[in-house]
Amino acid sequence: MNVALILLIVIPLGTAILIPLIDIFHKEVRKYLVVFSAFLEFIILLYIVVNNFSKITNGSIFLTYNLGGWLPPLGINLTLDMLSLYFVALISTAVLFLVIYSIGYIGHHEGKYYVLLFLMWAAMLGIILTSDIFNFYVFLELVLITTAPLIAFKRNREGTEAAIKYMFYGILGGVFIFIGIILIYFNLGTLNFAEISANFNMLPLNIQILISIFFLVGLFIKLGIFPFHFWVAKAQSAAPSPISALLSGVVEKIYIYAFLRLIWNVFGINVLQDTGMSKIIIYVALLSSIIGHVLALYEDDLKRMLAYSTIGHLGIIIAIVTVNTKFAIMAGLLHVLSHLLMKISLFTSAGFLLQFTPSHKLKDSRGVAHENISVFSGFIIAAAGMMGLPPMIGFFSKLFIVRSFINSSFYFGASLVVLGSIFSFIYYSRYITYGFKKISLGSPEEFRLILSVLYREKVVKNIALLFVIAVVLSGIFYKTVFCPLEGVYNVLENPSLYIDLILGG
Amino acid sequence: MSKTKHIFAVLILSLLGITLLVSLSKLPNQFEYANSIYHHVVNNSITETGSLNFVTAILYDYRAYDSLGESTIIFGAVSGIVLLLSRKTLPVSSHGLSFIVKRTFGMLTPFIFLFGIYIITHGHLSPGGGFQGGVILGAISIIFSIVYGSEFDYKRYSPTTKTLLETSGALLFIGLGFMGILLGGNFLMNLNILNAEVGSLLSAGSIPFINIGIGFKIGAGLAIIFYSMIQKTFKEEVDL
Repeated sequence: MNVALILLIVIPLGTAILIPLIDIFHKEVRKYLVVFSAFLEFIILLYIVVNNFSKITNGSIFLTYNLGGWLPPLGINLTLDMLSLYFVALISTAVLFLVIYSIGYIGHHEGKYYVLLFLMWAAMLGIILTSDIFNFYVFLELVLITTAPLIAFKRNREGTEAAIKYMFYGILGGVFIFIGIILIYFNLGTLNFAEISANFNMLPLNIQILISIFFLVGLFIKLGIFPFHFWVAKAQSAAPSPISALLSGVVEKIYIYAFLRLIWNVFGINVLQDTGMSKIIIYVALLSSIIGHVLALYEDDLKRMLAYSTIGHLGIIIAIVTVNTKFAIMAGLLHVLSHLLMKISLFTSAGFLLQFTPSHKLKDSRGVAHENISVFSGFIIAAAGMMGLPPMIGFFSKLFIVRSFINSSFYFGASLVVLGSIFSFIYYSRYITYGFKKISLGSPEEFRLILSVLYREKVVKNIALLFVIAVVLSGIFYKTVFCPLEGVYNVLENPSLYIDLILGG
Repeated sequence: MSKTKHIFAVLILSLLGITLLVSLSKLPNQFEYANSIYHHVVNNSITETGSLNFVTAILYDYRAYDSLGESTIIFGAVSGIVLLLSRKTLPVSSHGLSFIVKRTFGMLTPFIFLFGIYIITHGHLSPGGGFQGGVILGAISIIFSIVYGSEFDYKRYSPTTKTLLETSGALLFIGLGFMGILLGGNFLMNLNILNAEVGSLLSAGSIPFINIGIGFKIGAGLAIIFYSMIQKTFKEEVDL
């Protein structure tokens, strides 16, 4: 029993509900409420970490909370183990700083923006903490419903088109997952992760495969893996920069969490390995990765380029965790962290730099470096991390990925990772060279019309630099991040332990 | 070009359809799983929750947390639509329909309201509940705008009132959840507030209150959606 778990979800949810109420009475308070609850959330996370520090260091943390007082198979329960804790920590910290960034960045329609942002936050934590498959689906849809209006936040043609496309793909993915849930309930009569996991291998093999395929297709559509990647670039380039950072850095990680949790702890990786499906997943993900990088190479729009690079990195993460050796999974999880930090710092600093240029186009960004050299060098550092240069965290995660591909004699995968790095070197250096060109930019009035104005420039700048510092620091102290991942691996590899802990306690 | 594209799409879809059909036809016809939660709910839900309606017992007691998520989806959709559809220049509101229609609905609307309230409060006894009753309440606002003109709706039932109703409904739901923690139980525990015998109106613990909360939230939310589609919304959006 741990009340902190439900507080993690209810605080953002309650904040989202309070914001319209506050807007009626006193609009000025909204800003403080938003920051206050974001910090409160962070404090609760710290409280959980400090209270269970010894258990976290040996990887045996397991907190649970039964909602409504009903025991697991009957009611819904929340659980927090190493895997959930890792993702909760990443997401809560990232969203906290993105909320502060938004205060500087977003200047109109703030009320509804924060409502949707906090609902999205609550939904993401709901997905991670729940151990009930229908509840999982409810929050998955909540993430979709709240992200789509934020993509169309600029209310122009491009944004609306992107949001509609995102909605269609997201709903399609949701339908696949929903059919999978129906099949599970139809066959097993339960919705609890642990009970499904305990009984899943008693089903006939063809039904096991059918259910896994439904879930995999649903998750891949939501992730934007290769055959379903069409919405990614549109959505991430049309959205305002903090939302692009959230979409690429944080929301996509939720689906990676769902992939890990469902395939390893609930269905069991054996189903995929015995039928050879894991090989197919690896090749599809690698193909998607290389296609993402190639498309980024051809792109002449900064935010679309960053979005395509997201496809490339997500493909690598999915491929490396499906290899399913201890080192591979740990490397994949480290890359989740490194991609989150680097992509958020790229998008946040791009959001700052784009105020100086008339459009998102690369060739319009000539001379950006001379406008603000500190943020631009931050962008270069984060981009260098993406290319895999030391001492940024991207170097270590890519190194470990290549090494674990080679250890399990997947030379094709290893070479693709290296090739992706070379491609990203090319497309990032294109932007950087444009940035250093000495050409005077147009008059201020000209681009004020096209781009949103930053409201508190200093906040935006400092948060962008903060993420860049995080990229460098986590690279230097990569061991402190990497070692706890062994506990995450143990959670993934022992579904029976997960079952015992939920149903036994 | 487009024709070959269409043929290609049809081919892929039919291939997928056939695969799906073959896989689904291999499912056994009858499933009987001994430990299914279905048995527990059917046998024990009346004594455990005090609700005559199984669906309500599941929605607002066993899985009340899901209902919190579902009603939050409506809340999110309302916020999103208000965000996207609010604009500066607006069509002039209608002046309503003819005198006959106005009189008829003048007589009908109180009963529609009463019916909505009935559906909400009897959620634990008969089919219905907060979601369904809320939709009926939301229809009243639509009647106001269509029959009497949207200006009437604005005066009688202003956007601020709607937002207040929506958020108070949501806060009631979350507040009931926290009451469970304060009384020494769990979040969204079924509180022993209304404990008359099973089958009467004042029974089933906190389920009727959750129904009322959801009813207000859904009703006001749908009214806001309709309203933001026809007329200017809150002042905040106007001074863009």
